[in-house]
Amino acid sequence: MAQILEKNKLDEMIARLNGDGCEVFGPRKNDTSSWYGKISRAEEFCFDQILPDRPLKELFFPRTEPMMKYEIKKQQVDAENYVLPKKQRVIFGARPCDAVSLTIDDALFAWDACDEFWFERRENSVIVSIACNKKDDFCMCTSLKSSPDVSTGSDVLLHELVDSAGWRVSAITPAGQDFIDKLGDVFSTTSTDVSVKPPAEVPVKFDLDAVIRKLNSPEIFESDFWKTISVRCVGCGVCTFVCPTCHCFDIQDEGDVYHGVRRKNWDSCSFAMFTRHASGHNPRPDQASRWRQRIMHKFNYYLERFGQISCTGCGRCSRVCPVDMGVTQTLVTLSTNGGK
Amino acid sequence: MTKEFEPKIVAFVCTYCTYAGADLAGTSRLKYAPNVRIVKLPCTGRISPMFILKALQKGADGVLISGCHPGDCHFTSGNLHARRRWTVFRSLLNFVGIPDERIWVSWISAAEGNKFAEIINEMTEKLKTLGPFEPYKTLIRDIESPAEI
Amino acid sequence: MGNTLEEHIKRTRQLLECGEVAMVIGYERGSVENRRRATFVKEVSELERMVLDGLCCENLANYLVREELLRSFDGKKVAIFLTTAGVRSVNILAAEGQINPDCVIILGFEAEKPGELDSAIKMLDGEHVDHYADSIQQLKSRGFVNDRAQVIVKLEMMSAEERFAFWREQFSRCVKCYACRQVCPMCYCRRCIVDCNQPQWINASAHDLGNLEWNLVRAFHLAGRCVGCGNCERACPAGIPLMLLNQRMAQEVLKEFNHFAGESSTQLPVLADFKKDDPETFIL
Repeated sequence: MAQILEKNKLDEMIARLNGDGCEVFGPRKNDTSSWYGKISRAEEFCFDQILPDRPLKELFFPRTEPMMKYEIKKQQVDAENYVLPKKQRVIFGARPCDAVSLTIDDALFAWDACDEFWFERRENSVIVSIACNKKDDFCMCTSLKSSPDVSTGSDVLLHELVDSAGWRVSAITPAGQDFIDKLGDVFSTTSTDVSVKPPAEVPVKFDLDAVIRKLNSPEIFESDFWKTISVRCVGCGVCTFVCPTCHCFDIQDEGDVYHGVRRKNWDSCSFAMFTRHASGHNPRPDQASRWRQRIMHKFNYYLERFGQISCTGCGRCSRVCPVDMGVTQTLVTLSTNGGK
Repeated sequence: MTKEFEPKIVAFVCTYCTYAGADLAGTSRLKYAPNVRIVKLPCTGRISPMFILKALQKGADGVLISGCHPGDCHFTSGNLHARRRWTVFRSLLNFVGIPDERIWVSWISAAEGNKFAEIINEMTEKLKTLGPFEPYKTLIRDIESPAEI
Repeated sequence: MGNTLEEHIKRTRQLLECGEVAMVIGYERGSVENRRRATFVKEVSELERMVLDGLCCENLANYLVREELLRSFDGKKVAIFLTTAGVRSVNILAAEGQINPDCVIILGFEAEKPGELDSAIKMLDGEHVDHYADSIQQLKSRGFVNDRAQVIVKLEMMSAEERFAFWREQFSRCVKCYACRQVCPMCYCRRCIVDCNQPQWINASAHDLGNLEWNLVRAFHLAGRCVGCGNCERACPAGIPLMLLNQRMAQEVLKEFNHFAGESSTQLPVLADFKKDDPETFIL
């Protein structure tokens, strides 16, 4: 017995969800880009791509967000917080590597000060992921001990049917089960099991345990390895911005003498000014130290602090890098003979 | 009755020619539109494109840049550099959709109080017919709106 | 020196062996089949990883002004594989006092069909920027006759509102990653205007206004300096047609001031120069 969602029921699903006041988001594509965007009709979905260029974190952590408005008056300062509208959302068609990234960032956004922008959006969203049956040369989820159909972070996981007419549906969390129950006959049930396309075979590119061991070793920090491996890097920050787990941000007041808006903007540790102090001193003055920071943060510091690797193996960094960097090469070298 | 649209003009002018010319317009009691806010710089050569962008960012409907006639610059060649700069910047702004008719450049000498008043009046009239610079104003309004998602 | 790839490679071996150059900057195979990327060769034994084919599109001149790399030149020269656009970049960098053109040994090449693996590669003669003066003049006299020029014409036929809407939509995708800036050989400012906040001229946020201001300012700062190598457009993760802006500016300075970026290593930057009879058609 299996639960099925047929592709020709998608418009009905969208209509039902919208009727309940719930917005639908999903993978979209046009000539220039692909992203997770708002969906009002099933034809807007693009399930055919390996994964959207832009990561799922955009729907939870927008690239620029106003936090507070302020007005400076003669005797006082008036400040007003921006309040997120309570919007229920379903993200239909997330890739498993994107769904996992949300659980990785949860740890960071709950650490110390709880980020209400992130968690309010998390609480109001149901994640319906579609397992990958295709991959490209940049995918490396298996190297991170994950898989193309990992269920962590998803409320519902779909596997595409062999005849491509729909998906087999599996509830992963109670919220996911709720989602399925509420939609009732949008889903159908079969009496026998169904055949689904097998998950993509993603070859393992490096030994993660060896990488972790290498990064824990006492001599790695001062090693010249970082200089040689990062010589091509131009510090552009694209890898940070397309990475589903990267979460650094800058808070800036935008305005004039009398009124303005305090905003939270994406930032990147690859930028030269990222660690520049007001005195002018920069503890990470060259690209080698910044690249070292990137790798150590994702594969050592985050692991130490939160018990998770801050990478899901989606491969976006390698796909977009204008000078063909991306973490993969560094990790391969580290796991084999690098780090000397 | 709706209030007639009053365009906001920001004028970046040089101290030794146009500002003196504006002064002359004042002392001669010439009437000209009150829509202009004058920003005094030592020379048009000092006027950076950033100033224009800042004026637009703050809601200006039109921008005037004015200085000494070529050959008469107090600093010899500041206005000659400015001339090249504004040729390029104006064409860039126009290409991006910020129309030529909102960015005016003129040479007004210290003796040309009349010309200053005329240009301000002309510019105000023209901008009244063009209307407020709505496309830019929506950009400015949008930065205060909450994140869409 | 030579006009075949073998002779270029022989020359790089010579230069490394005699210690005249600290390194050779060229291309090697990338992480996947149809990618090429920069490589920095310091030993003769490393030369075997160098390749040269139609996929080698990146303008490597960018690396001549990357701070860390400059330090490793050690006072010696550097040999670098460059197309004519790259040579023009070197000219501009020299004219603006950023590098010494006598310290750059050029291994010039041009692909017949850039971007295609099977493209023929022509090696160019001349190891110093001065040797390219004639070919650059030829490029200048050809002007900008390409697909982009057609798109520019179409855009200019639209009304200002339509153009604004077009560009607003394009820039709405910008995420302010600054990849365009980082891969550009001409963007070598240690502290970019967008990194300054006392005062803040341009909004750093990635909303439509901030994106418009950034792209406008960068296009203006490149006016008369952009060589059209395309590094920026290739690097942009949002697919913004940056080269339309840059080419429009290049067309403007050629038309108004007869200026073509990178003609020589002593050419005055177009906005740092003036002529008594510069055009002033729009000045009242």
